[in-house]
Amino acid sequence: MIAAKLALGALGTLTLAGAYVFHEGVIRVAVDEHKGGRNESHVHFFVPAAAVPLALHVVPEDRIRQAAERLRPLLPAIVIASRELGRLPDADLVEVRDAREHVQIRVRGGKLLIDVESPQETVHLSVPLCTVNEVARELESRVPAS
Amino acid sequence: MKRAMAVLAVVVLAAGLVPAFAQPVPAPETEKWLHVRVEQTQPKNELVRVNVPLALAEKVLPAIHNHGLHDGKITVDRARMEGVDLRAVLDAVKNARDGEFVTIQSTENDVRVAKENGYLLVHVRENRKATKPQVEVRVPMTVVDALLSSGTNELDLVAAIRALAAHGDTELVRVKDERSTVRVWVDSKNVSE
Repeated sequence: MIAAKLALGALGTLTLAGAYVFHEGVIRVAVDEHKGGRNESHVHFFVPAAAVPLALHVVPEDRIRQAAERLRPLLPAIVIASRELGRLPDADLVEVRDAREHVQIRVRGGKLLIDVESPQETVHLSVPLCTVNEVARELESRVPAS
Repeated sequence: MKRAMAVLAVVVLAAGLVPAFAQPVPAPETEKWLHVRVEQTQPKNELVRVNVPLALAEKVLPAIHNHGLHDGKITVDRARMEGVDLRAVLDAVKNARDGEFVTIQSTENDVRVAKENGYLLVHVRENRKATKPQVEVRVPMTVVDALLSSGTNELDLVAAIRALAAHGDTELVRVKDERSTVRVWVDSKNVSE
């Protein structure tokens, strides 16, 4: 009986922890280089979006400040754009297509999708807009006072 | 029974958390979008489509402070082009009655600038080339008024965007030549053509 209660408690904790970790969705990065031959590289990974703002607290402060300083002019616009885009319905924001390349920037289900297909590489990036907003706000708060 | 209820409660709670955080809030149906479509056939086939919600532009512009753009306004000095005071010209057009301000018909170009039915119209056609490239610009006068609304030496871009959003669907720019077609328009669709 006690074991059953413990198992139930553990299951509940795991379910809640899982729900929290994945409540913002996942960041998906897929980069495939097509060089032809042995030099081809394939990078694919998924990261729980909720982990990214937490990870910012682990990165050395000077690195964060450097990044924040570099992005300073863009940060207010990124904060607002990510918040507003998250409120919009799904949309295709930018599409560039020619005989060799196809670039798309879209919003789908609260995520920003960037897809590039070219003879050299294929890139698929998917980031929840709420994560972009959270990271930009965090960086904004770390910009050194001028 | 208690155990089943506890499991159910955990699952319901977890299931409830996910959509609460993940679902985007639907935009109102009246959301206006600015669309740009550039289609090029020479030297190679290329298509560029840009769709920007006007509400987004209205909110992001004031956050950009760069090259004379600040708080959603641009100073007239920047808008001054080759000795032409753009603000003064727009102000004169705003206060003028409907009519044709400029009409040029030559073997090289046809140019027409007019104010008509609440729109500022600019039409340019190049006659030298066989395909007669054309530029058509059609701006609602409410947008021109909004641009000048700051009353200072600035053009208020945010006010102009607001006026554009309040205006019905409209085509702003159309450029057509033998190599490319450019179209800029506003409507309520979140997809381009």
